[in-house]
Amino acid sequence: MDELELLKKDWQRDAVEYPELSYDEIYKMSHSKSSSIVKWIFYIGLIEFAFWFVISLGLKAFGYGEEIKKLESSTIFVILAVISYAVLLYFLYKFYMNYRNISTTDSARRLMKNILKTRKTVKAYVIFNLVFLVIATFYGVYFSLQNDEASKSMVDAAAANGEMFKFYAGIILVTLLLLVITIGFLLLFYWLIYGLLLKQLNQNYRELKKLEI
Amino acid sequence: MNKELEHSFVEQLQKHQNIVHKVCRLYTNNQDAHNDLFQEITIQLWRAYPKFRGDSKFSTWMYRVGLNTAITLYRKTKRRIQTDDFDAYQFKIKAEEYDSTEEEQLKLLYKAVHQLNDIEKALVFLYLEDKDYREISETLGITEVNARVKMNRVKKKLKAILNP
Repeated sequence: MDELELLKKDWQRDAVEYPELSYDEIYKMSHSKSSSIVKWIFYIGLIEFAFWFVISLGLKAFGYGEEIKKLESSTIFVILAVISYAVLLYFLYKFYMNYRNISTTDSARRLMKNILKTRKTVKAYVIFNLVFLVIATFYGVYFSLQNDEASKSMVDAAAANGEMFKFYAGIILVTLLLLVITIGFLLLFYWLIYGLLLKQLNQNYRELKKLEI
Repeated sequence: MNKELEHSFVEQLQKHQNIVHKVCRLYTNNQDAHNDLFQEITIQLWRAYPKFRGDSKFSTWMYRVGLNTAITLYRKTKRRIQTDDFDAYQFKIKAEEYDSTEEEQLKLLYKAVHQLNDIEKALVFLYLEDKDYREISETLGITEVNARVKMNRVKKKLKAILNP
């Protein structure tokens, strides 16, 4: 006899005595807190949005007074700020709509797809911020070299010694190094959080997708 | 949420609770994980209940939410395969007894099913529940042809596990 047929016979015979839960137990259970990955993705996503928003506010608060004020009044800075807030609102809206589309009554494949879509929205926002961080950092360095008195005198000194190339190469290298360290640290953090959270889901989604090839 | 809705939900779930137990039996390896998954499925069923229109049977609707919770929503950390755990994690069999050879064979079969991956288990579960390929394909979101192909592969895989 086919192995599965034997198993089916047993399964349908319902020979197993499962613990029987009472009305009150089920009622209490249905109102308890969920620990599903959808909940985690939603909260972690919100924390990420908040994190990048606070970072942008924090940069302003801790920036050195006069220079930041000058920087803030520059047209490019105003344009960048408007873009960043508009993008934040767009991604928050998209994130929420994707989250709302997650339904446990969909097929397994569609459910997984919608969860991954919600996660991808946050990922896209993070990538946007990382690109933004790189642009803003280089613009900030350029701006301070043009406007900050201390920086200007350093440029003048380098010019007097004929070390302009060395000076700019040094600045670019240090800036790049700091950016690589910051971004590397953030990516490691994401890899750990989402890697652990979504490992099984990704595996199962791949398995279902493989069937359709 | 109104009391009537709560009442009808709890009453129906209480009546069909064995479906949830069966999903948990297939997807977990110890009693704690079983209880955890049971709780998570109950929560998800209750959340989805206001949208349950009754155009399908309550039990059919439960299969989908139950399996989706087990495959996708439930965090797996607590249910890694532990053979020792699995041996201890057996439910009592009702009075009608099996002969010892049959019982031993079934035990090995269940153990083999536990070695399948989540999607393969879902196929086996729906098959054991006597669902047709149309329903299996709709529940998993794959075509009927692919559900059949996959089921044949699962059967072969089970044979290979049982007869290494």
